[in-house]
Amino acid sequence: MAKDMTLMWGAGSPPCWRVMIALEEKNLQGYNSKQLSFEKGEHKSKDVMAINPRGQLPAFKHGNIVLNESYGICLYLEDQFKSQGTKLTPDNKAENALMLQRMFEGLTLFDAMKQVLFYTRFVPENERHDSAQKRNAENLKSEVGRWESYLQGSGPYLAGKTFSLADVIVFPVIAFLFRFGLSEEHYPKLAAYHNTLKDRPSIKSTWPPNWVDTPGQPALKDL
Amino acid sequence: MAKSMTLLWGAGSPPCWRVMITLEEKKLQGYKHKLLSFEKEDHKSQEVLQINPRGQLPAFKHGDDIINESVGACLYLENQFKSQGNKLIPDSPPQQALMYQRMMEGLTLTEKLNLVVFYDLYAPEGERHESAVKRNKDNLVAELQRWEGYLENVAAGSYLAGAFSLADVVAFPNIAYAFRYGLSVGRYPKLAKYYSLLKDRPSIKTTWPPQWYQIAQRSEILKDL
Repeated sequence: MAKDMTLMWGAGSPPCWRVMIALEEKNLQGYNSKQLSFEKGEHKSKDVMAINPRGQLPAFKHGNIVLNESYGICLYLEDQFKSQGTKLTPDNKAENALMLQRMFEGLTLFDAMKQVLFYTRFVPENERHDSAQKRNAENLKSEVGRWESYLQGSGPYLAGKTFSLADVIVFPVIAFLFRFGLSEEHYPKLAAYHNTLKDRPSIKSTWPPNWVDTPGQPALKDL
Repeated sequence: MAKSMTLLWGAGSPPCWRVMITLEEKKLQGYKHKLLSFEKEDHKSQEVLQINPRGQLPAFKHGDDIINESVGACLYLENQFKSQGNKLIPDSPPQQALMYQRMMEGLTLTEKLNLVVFYDLYAPEGERHESAVKRNKDNLVAELQRWEGYLENVAAGSYLAGAFSLADVVAFPNIAYAFRYGLSVGRYPKLAKYYSLLKDRPSIKTTWPPQWYQIAQRSEILKDL
């Protein structure tokens, strides 16, 4: 099963990381894993374009099946491998609803983060404005504050008592925030969530290799 | 079942429309619903904030469960009501994978459309640039051409992932709004065929937006694409 799967991924990328976590959780270790470098432009290589014409990672194949949207891959793996590994979708209706809500809010969090951390990558020099950067920072601060409050309620996971696709999808984004200096004092609930989950086997074994034993960056320390 | 559901929605909003199409497809007519006005800022009202603290539409409740994220709500309805109405997620692995792929790509299409049609809402005055307008248009053209390719073999019963599915629920509203805002039928014949095949599907026809946001100012905005 896993031997028929190939994943092309880049280190630290939340969309790639969430797929790797899902594969571990579903006991699908043994897939063909190809790490590529964004810095070297390998995501635009012929090998990637052959699977993902958008030239983006993750690029995933299962036999002849191609799936490059990280949420799609996670939903597909959970559905196709229901009977093995961790059950990632709670049966409880309320948790299930909350899981879906948080999963898709995860897109908003990721976007808010990218608008701050990758501003100069997305916005050409002549189009940059301090007013935009200030607004993006305020937006991210308010968004992260929202997620801090989500973890005030019943937890310890995003959908409640059980680890679910919401955590698979959103944890990599939260880890990225802390990697880039998010303050544990400002966001104690997020920090506790992050510190608990980083030792979960599926997360520990897929931790971005370039983050191990290297310091992060301080960009978000004052958020 | 439907009686314990409430949907607050705005006309012409693809995310709202997706949820309404799904409710029809799953035979959940009879849900409580209220049409709100974006122009009058109803989406920031207490009524909405109580369900959706983000002050956005759709705002959707089923009993005590709230899902305001449209794709989340559609997935929820399909999974909770699997045995009624139309099946919106295929079982067979290749079709299911294609369905999820196109469903999520539908969000990319949404974003690129919004950046062109509603550029002025994203970039306040003083931050707008011709270079950005051009880039957003070029990105949208490339994206629309991609979808033309996805719909190469479109026919009755053969949509984005075979039979009508959540991929169509997510993407069709955006394609409908692209044509409403002036997209050329001649330059995008497959998209136009897809549109004409689905516009009379009962779930879509019944929930067709009563109006579109600022249609007078924006109805030609995509015509040169």
